[in-house]
Amino acid sequence: MSAAAIEVGALAKVFGGLAAVDGVSLTVAAGERRVLIGPNGAGKTTLFHCITGTLRPTRGSVRLFGRDVTQDAEHRRTALGMGRTFQITNVFPELTLGENLALAIVGTDRRKWVVHRPMEAFESVRHQALESLERVGLEGRADQPAKLVSYGERRQLELALALNTKPKVLFLDEPCAGLSPAERQRISKMIAGLPRDITLLMIEHDMDVALGLADRVTVLHQGRVILEGTPDEVRANAQVRDVYFGHA
Amino acid sequence: MTSAILQAINGVSLAALLFLLASGFTLSFGLMRVVNMAHGAYYLIGGYVGLSIAQTTGSFALALAGGGAAVVVLGYLIDRFLIRRTGENHLAQVLLTVGVAFVLGDVALQIWGGDNLMVPAPAFLKGAVILPGDIYYPKYRFVLIFLGAFVGAVLWLLYKKTQLGAVVRAGVDDREQVNATGINVDRLFVMVSALASFLAGLAGVAGGAFLTLYPGAEWEILVYALVVVIVGGLGSLEGAMIGALIVGLLDAYGRWLLPEFSYFVLFGPIALLMLFRPRGLFGREH
Amino acid sequence: MDRTRIVLALVVLAGLLSLPFAAGPFWTGLATQMMIFGLLALSVDLLLGHAGLFSLTHASFFAVSAYTVAILQVRYNVPTALAAPAGIVAGTLLALVFGLAVRTRGVYFILITIAFGYVVWGVAHRWSSFTGGDNGVTNVPFPAIGAAAITSHTQYYYVVLAAVILCGLGYRLLIRSPFGLGLRGIKASETRMQSLGYRTSLHLYAAFVLSGALASFAGVLYVYYNKFVNPVAASFPISVEAALMAIVGGSGTIIGPFIGAGVVLGLRNWVSSFVEMHHAIMGVVFIATVLWAPQGLVGLAAQLRARLARRGEHKR
Repeated sequence: MSAAAIEVGALAKVFGGLAAVDGVSLTVAAGERRVLIGPNGAGKTTLFHCITGTLRPTRGSVRLFGRDVTQDAEHRRTALGMGRTFQITNVFPELTLGENLALAIVGTDRRKWVVHRPMEAFESVRHQALESLERVGLEGRADQPAKLVSYGERRQLELALALNTKPKVLFLDEPCAGLSPAERQRISKMIAGLPRDITLLMIEHDMDVALGLADRVTVLHQGRVILEGTPDEVRANAQVRDVYFGHA
Repeated sequence: MTSAILQAINGVSLAALLFLLASGFTLSFGLMRVVNMAHGAYYLIGGYVGLSIAQTTGSFALALAGGGAAVVVLGYLIDRFLIRRTGENHLAQVLLTVGVAFVLGDVALQIWGGDNLMVPAPAFLKGAVILPGDIYYPKYRFVLIFLGAFVGAVLWLLYKKTQLGAVVRAGVDDREQVNATGINVDRLFVMVSALASFLAGLAGVAGGAFLTLYPGAEWEILVYALVVVIVGGLGSLEGAMIGALIVGLLDAYGRWLLPEFSYFVLFGPIALLMLFRPRGLFGREH
Repeated sequence: MDRTRIVLALVVLAGLLSLPFAAGPFWTGLATQMMIFGLLALSVDLLLGHAGLFSLTHASFFAVSAYTVAILQVRYNVPTALAAPAGIVAGTLLALVFGLAVRTRGVYFILITIAFGYVVWGVAHRWSSFTGGDNGVTNVPFPAIGAAAITSHTQYYYVVLAAVILCGLGYRLLIRSPFGLGLRGIKASETRMQSLGYRTSLHLYAAFVLSGALASFAGVLYVYYNKFVNPVAASFPISVEAALMAIVGGSGTIIGPFIGAGVVLGLRNWVSSFVEMHHAIMGVVFIATVLWAPQGLVGLAAQLRARLARRGEHKR
């Protein structure tokens, strides 16, 4: 039996006296598209950070493709096939779009240690970067500094960066945050069009986008999982409605 | 009384002086996120001003107060017109305040010259104490220890037991929080800044009565204070106290056992600290 | 634009090549100093302008390599062919140790490098039996490798010029390489780089050691020029000046540190002819640069060019 892409076991993260994540277990199968939803403060981003390696959990375990990565540094997880985007856009503002992507492309292989040849000399890198830009709708802008590009376009770049790390499992933290409806459409189409061999774990606030993209949905509330099921099951569930719109 | 104990007293007396300097530096950083590399120059200027006051009025007390006060004024001007303009850019702060220190150093050189000068202290503070074993030991070192302990106790009480201290502690923890409570943050900053400056100037006069003042002293004492702050952790008052003791004792024993490598003795703990606790003993993630 | 740059470069090169004959020994000596300290400033800028690490300990590598060369040549009669590489190795070994500092960031890093720098200065100062204390090591001969022996300051000027040009070319390759781009990525966002698979601390460590090696090389060039070395070479003001030169000239560029060296040394030379306050002058330059020209002279020149270009467009 092949290992699940992501396996979180009884994970908890405590800050001071507060448990942001309070015993969460979840399993995401390879190729699955899972969306994490929940009201603000539910612990979604903290959980994310624990799985991707930005934070170390207080208790519990994280496995990627069967490997225990609970205490591993982020770069190690990336080497195992993890790719991620950040909730607050985290690109390289002073560098050009092409340079941004070049860093992502060589990040997972030995080329990043080359000291004696200029980056421009790597034809395949340039080619891949240009292709990437085209795919996210930023063609022709390779030489523009990232800080001069619009917010929505930087979000697209953010996604492109993650895609270029040869990910087997992709973590997207609110990819549509701060985007106009048209931009949201574009990003969700891009995500929907991703190859099925990439496992997806996504945090998203926009219910339509979330339920439209998901195979399964996990609902978090106050650091715990209160429901896990198909989009339809979640849509119909009264407790979820309470948590979001009522009195939980 | 064994040499080891004598060296320990030496170390503690240096620690007292370093604490005066380091406490201000670390609180300035903790609360205001300001790195002030001119702190050593403040020590020197305070010392020189105190020297001149002592020479003209004959009063050591006046020298201590005057040296401190002079640096408060100087520090305020530098902060208001120069440091403020760097925001939280630490790189710019370091460069700017190093520049200020260089200017102050040369100005001091022009005014007070390049010789080793000693601040005249009253006779009852100088001279020797006779310790068990018929050993003559400089009384002034005990004066320094007393001064350091006294200031330490006052700062501790202020910091831990008063409302003002609570506000400062909250500010060190989370500046936004203090802003939100409506307390006049600007005035708080000015007060803490003034206290730091005063202590630096005071240290200059107190130190200058024993260690002498000379061009370059401002950097030597600053580096010691920096090591104290690194070891203790930026922003922590306890860190400044413990760090000062560690540095003072290491320096004393280092000079005694390995005089040619005494600076090297400081290297050991810093290197070890880098390996296991890069933020210092009591530092936090900032 | 590129044509202008090439022409400018050729003019400058022609000037540099003819300097000793056109301007005489005083200017030759000053220019040699500017190149040596420019190289030191360049080494500091590899970390500052590209990796975002502000090191104030580079005088340590500079001095350790200078002392190694001096002691080997003067006391043990070791020839240049061995002494010079030994100097670079010594400085680089120290950088391997001091590189521990990259476990910290920001202010902590700056403070730790300052402390490290003082350790070296203190040892140079107090270990008088080995280092000569305040007097240092004197009577360092000109370099000589086999039959090729330098016999004059003019000849040495050309050696330094060649060395600096070679270093500049190598540096250019380095900063344009994937590794160099990686450093700039780390400076922009370390968290992003980690999530892209970079072991950032290792990258920074490698950069630190490379930069230490370059500073050591500058130290070797220095000791043969100066003919003696004393604790001042390891002092805090030297490290600070190197950073200042990089910033005044233009951090993040290749030519910036050298321009900065020219400005700082030139200014000091001019001012010291009528007042002995060169630290204060340096201090004022620091303050002025930080407040009004943080991008340095190269940055100002770029701004000026941009403004002129816009003016030109308006006119059309």
